[in-house]
Amino acid sequence: MSDKLSRRDFLKLAGVGAASTAVLTGCGPASRSVKREPYMQMPEYTYNGLSTYYATTCRECAAGCGLVVRTSQGRAIKTEGNANNPLNLGKTCARGQATLHGLYNPDRVTDPIKRTRGNASGDIVTWENATQIVADALKNNKPEEIAFLMGMAPDHLFDLVADLANSTGINAPVRFGALNMFESRATLSKAAENLFGEAGLPFFDVGGAQVVFSFGANFLETWLSPVSYTRGFAGLREGQTKKRGTFVQFESRMSSTAGKADEWMPLRPGTEALVALAIGRLASELRGGSMPRAFADVDPLEAASKSGIKLETLEHLAEMFANSTGALAIPGGTALGQSNGLAVAEAVLALNAIADNFGKPGGVFFSALAPNQTEYQRSASVKEMQEFVQQMADGKFKVLFVHGLNPIFELPASLDFKNALKNVEQVISFATFPDETALESDYVFPDHHGLESWGYQRVATGSAQPVLSGAQPVVSPFYNTRATADVLIAAAQLASGKFAEALPFQDEVEFLQSKISPLMSEADGFFSAADIDTFAAYFQQYGGWWKLSDGRAVPNSADVLNRSLSSAEAEFAGEGEFFFVPFVSPTLAEAGANKPWLQELPDPTTTVMWNTWVEINPVTAEELGLKDDDVVTITSEAGVLEVPVYRYPAIRPDTIAIPFGQGHTAYGRYATALDENGKIIKRGVNPTDLLGQHFNEAGDLAFAGMKVNIKKTGKKQLLSRLESIMGVYGVGLGEEK
Amino acid sequence: MIKRLFDWLKQPLGLIAVGIAFLALFSLAAYGIFQSQQSPAQPIQFPHATHAARGLQCLYCHPGAARGPSAGIPAQAKCWACHQQIQKTLDSQLADTQFPLLKPLVAAVTSNTPLEWVPVAMVPDFVQFNHRAHVAAGQNCENCHGDMTKVTVAENPQVFNMGFCLNCHKKVAGENHELLVKLTDCGTCHY
Amino acid sequence: MIKPEEIKMSTDESGKWGMVIDQDICTGCQACVAACAMENNISFVGEADSGYGRSMHWIRIERFWEGEYPEVKMTPNQPMMCQQCGSATCEPVCPAFATIHSQAEQLNLQVYNRCIGTRYCANNCPYQVRSFNWRDYERPEPLPNQFNPDVTVRRRGVMEKCTFCIQRIHKAQDKAKSEGREVLDGEFTTACAQACPASAITFGRVDDPESLVSQLAHRGHGVKHLEELGTLPNVTYFKGG
Repeated sequence: MSDKLSRRDFLKLAGVGAASTAVLTGCGPASRSVKREPYMQMPEYTYNGLSTYYATTCRECAAGCGLVVRTSQGRAIKTEGNANNPLNLGKTCARGQATLHGLYNPDRVTDPIKRTRGNASGDIVTWENATQIVADALKNNKPEEIAFLMGMAPDHLFDLVADLANSTGINAPVRFGALNMFESRATLSKAAENLFGEAGLPFFDVGGAQVVFSFGANFLETWLSPVSYTRGFAGLREGQTKKRGTFVQFESRMSSTAGKADEWMPLRPGTEALVALAIGRLASELRGGSMPRAFADVDPLEAASKSGIKLETLEHLAEMFANSTGALAIPGGTALGQSNGLAVAEAVLALNAIADNFGKPGGVFFSALAPNQTEYQRSASVKEMQEFVQQMADGKFKVLFVHGLNPIFELPASLDFKNALKNVEQVISFATFPDETALESDYVFPDHHGLESWGYQRVATGSAQPVLSGAQPVVSPFYNTRATADVLIAAAQLASGKFAEALPFQDEVEFLQSKISPLMSEADGFFSAADIDTFAAYFQQYGGWWKLSDGRAVPNSADVLNRSLSSAEAEFAGEGEFFFVPFVSPTLAEAGANKPWLQELPDPTTTVMWNTWVEINPVTAEELGLKDDDVVTITSEAGVLEVPVYRYPAIRPDTIAIPFGQGHTAYGRYATALDENGKIIKRGVNPTDLLGQHFNEAGDLAFAGMKVNIKKTGKKQLLSRLESIMGVYGVGLGEEK
Repeated sequence: MIKRLFDWLKQPLGLIAVGIAFLALFSLAAYGIFQSQQSPAQPIQFPHATHAARGLQCLYCHPGAARGPSAGIPAQAKCWACHQQIQKTLDSQLADTQFPLLKPLVAAVTSNTPLEWVPVAMVPDFVQFNHRAHVAAGQNCENCHGDMTKVTVAENPQVFNMGFCLNCHKKVAGENHELLVKLTDCGTCHY
Repeated sequence: MIKPEEIKMSTDESGKWGMVIDQDICTGCQACVAACAMENNISFVGEADSGYGRSMHWIRIERFWEGEYPEVKMTPNQPMMCQQCGSATCEPVCPAFATIHSQAEQLNLQVYNRCIGTRYCANNCPYQVRSFNWRDYERPEPLPNQFNPDVTVRRRGVMEKCTFCIQRIHKAQDKAKSEGREVLDGEFTTACAQACPASAITFGRVDDPESLVSQLAHRGHGVKHLEELGTLPNVTYFKGG
């Protein structure tokens, strides 16, 4: 005892320690050292402590949902949906909510900078210099050596660059976005062209339907216009005024959309066209009459054996489809991202001809064109991007302007955009955030965040009415950024000659007014005004302009069933054992990884946060000796990835899936991680690293057309997940498999 | 080792050493807390009395009190709206010699930089106070803030603690049970 | 003056504010979770802490699996937040009276400045909807610019949970009072309900038989979670299907 502290002594010592710690670490009251700055000039309508609300447009994706942003004392506090906007009727998705974490992100590009490519630090240049650099780039290069690569939003900037390109002969701006790649927009519009004789983006009236068959379309997550389609889904389920509608999803991995389906059909990847045509044939038989040519050649028995869906199930589905008064079939997502994607789209669209739902409530339409649009404008397919990257690699472009997308991250690594950049003499990025592409640029001239910007966005689909969503700044720019439209207008004036003639505007606002002024003379608008100032004021106040009438067109379905449709299966690239399904993370999508609250949102199906996982069926995992959090190597013909396992009960045993959204090497502290030495490393992985260059007939990437191999590494990487793993697969009960 | 140190500490000299160390730490902490409770100096020793004596209503400069949660500090444009018509503000010589209080205002307005005022009446962050409800309920500004005709720089005649709030709330509610429940509910102020 | 024995214990079955959640149309999209975080200044905790189950979601969307592949089904998504029980199990265990029942609004309050962090309430909550500030989670500048000035920013050692957006309740009451009228049904709603793209969440007065939320709640097939414990929850769920 003599050499040890007695319990009593110890307590005394501890007491003294605790008391001094409590006093020293601030049991004390909060500091009173506070200062408040009044406004120099109080803005009109503003009162201290009361919020001001501004209508604008969400720029987290290109759908164009209207927002109303609550601001207080010049700070943006909260985003809500704009209840007037016919597209989203006052609703938002998670990304729309988290857009404020983009605005006040601690890792924004704060000043215009000049940098050595790949070097994170750079020298600040003045905006006068920056404008001169852009002017020189325009003036000192031949028109065909100047290229613009732009994202899907905002549309007004695209229009400005398109006008500039039109009248000066520089290359027309190319638009791309990873979401479009995973949506297979090119395939959808090509299929519509083949079947209906007109290219366009189909609109599926889910809300008015009774039975919905979706082949891979993840319309409750990121597909085309998720907020609008979710409202449609609620309409489908609404049992108050009509019968509760039924929803069947065909895909090899249960997405969170498929999780809402009454029946999930885990068909073998590549057999979607076959299954759709078989259902078409069986349904036509039930309906009687002569067998349409479209379905004549398919053998339901063969479809059953190849797809893994029992013949009885196919018959039951056909009955459900044929006997419904409002059947609807939707092609999309992974089903189209295969080598036979176009055939799948055509086969599924053709199913709608049985239901004869074209142009009827609950059926298929052509999406309403936006008010200032005359024809459907499609973004570039990956095939077209491949040609663009090839031109870059061949040194065809002397200067490349990048705005609104991050091609190094969003394009499959096998296209090697990063390497092709080396053959472009001058790369000028207008990135708001320090993304991978901005890091490989010579100059970054940061654009404002979407909530600090003017603009408009055409609503491509999702609303029955033609909608032009308007954007206005809800707060003053937080950093020394400048609107890219203003930079280009000023640079064009400096470059003089044909450039100055192409953009004869004072600033962005004057350009916007020139674009929306033709709408004043259009009939049937949500509002009208006699002069442009009043019209522009309403445009800001209501968050855009839209027509009150239905602008959707009815597809010409006369010839749909008289064509022969291909039921060929998809071909898969690579020697691997497993089908590989990359899917877009519903919460992060392509640009959400730098917003901390989006990172902390659990994935709707797996509840994993802050990282990437690979979904493997528990039976397969057991065969391979894999448990949760075991790191595996996944090898395709195009690349290798290391990623931890999540045993996912709702995926085919021959299929694995990885979400797209993580795997950034730059893009701010929340999108990346730090290793033990404080060095920036990737957070998660990017599944597009595994994608080879295989396309469908419409030029979209066959992103779901790869086969891969899995190998256990023996390493473990713990995934953070919201769900409790107690009891799952026996974990914590001493009986883990 | 620890045992030996502890034994030494228990003898008289050791106890004194412990006492001194503890006192030193404690007074350091107390000093720190005292410091954090000292407000910085106001940019202008603003003479509330002068303004009030000229018949200016509180709500003229602090209109937020009747409309919403915060009374607010007037925008500089509002100060200047009156002061630009006052000779002694504009006359730099007069201001220099007789009215030095006006100099910071003139400097702030001409250089277009905001004055950094130091709030006097503050409640902690976890209290959600709404001026409008109190003004609407017929409370006069001086009930809480004191008589501004008697002070230059505003000062609190009382500490804004929960007892101060609740005493008044209970008095106002009186026998009205429903009102008392509402006015003494934690969720009325804390959320 | 009111006498202690006159104060009603929280056994009032009707409640005041309530919610109806239609699980059949909830798509699990997390818009409500993000909206809640933005409205209520909720900290994000980072990858490591969220792995320990310390993430601070005031509302979370639960999903469970039924059956084995290929007959596996995802149960209808279940948004779970504080049920604002009429007779809450969290309340009697708080030694500091920080978790108490609001007599005026019939809500379970969490008074941050009283909370001493015993976490007894979280332990006793059958719905597991309370979250604890294990640290002062860092929100680097300029992120705090987004803070909602109507909601207290919590510090380390404090318990927190869904408040049914009580700041919005007060704001609507204040506005109605200034206009000399009662709060109208549907005049305001909680952040989660306002964001929900499927309109799966309806919020309002459950003690007003005319309100939309009452009409829905009495449609017949709604259930209240763990009602058998006698907690008198104020959130009604439609399982759908």
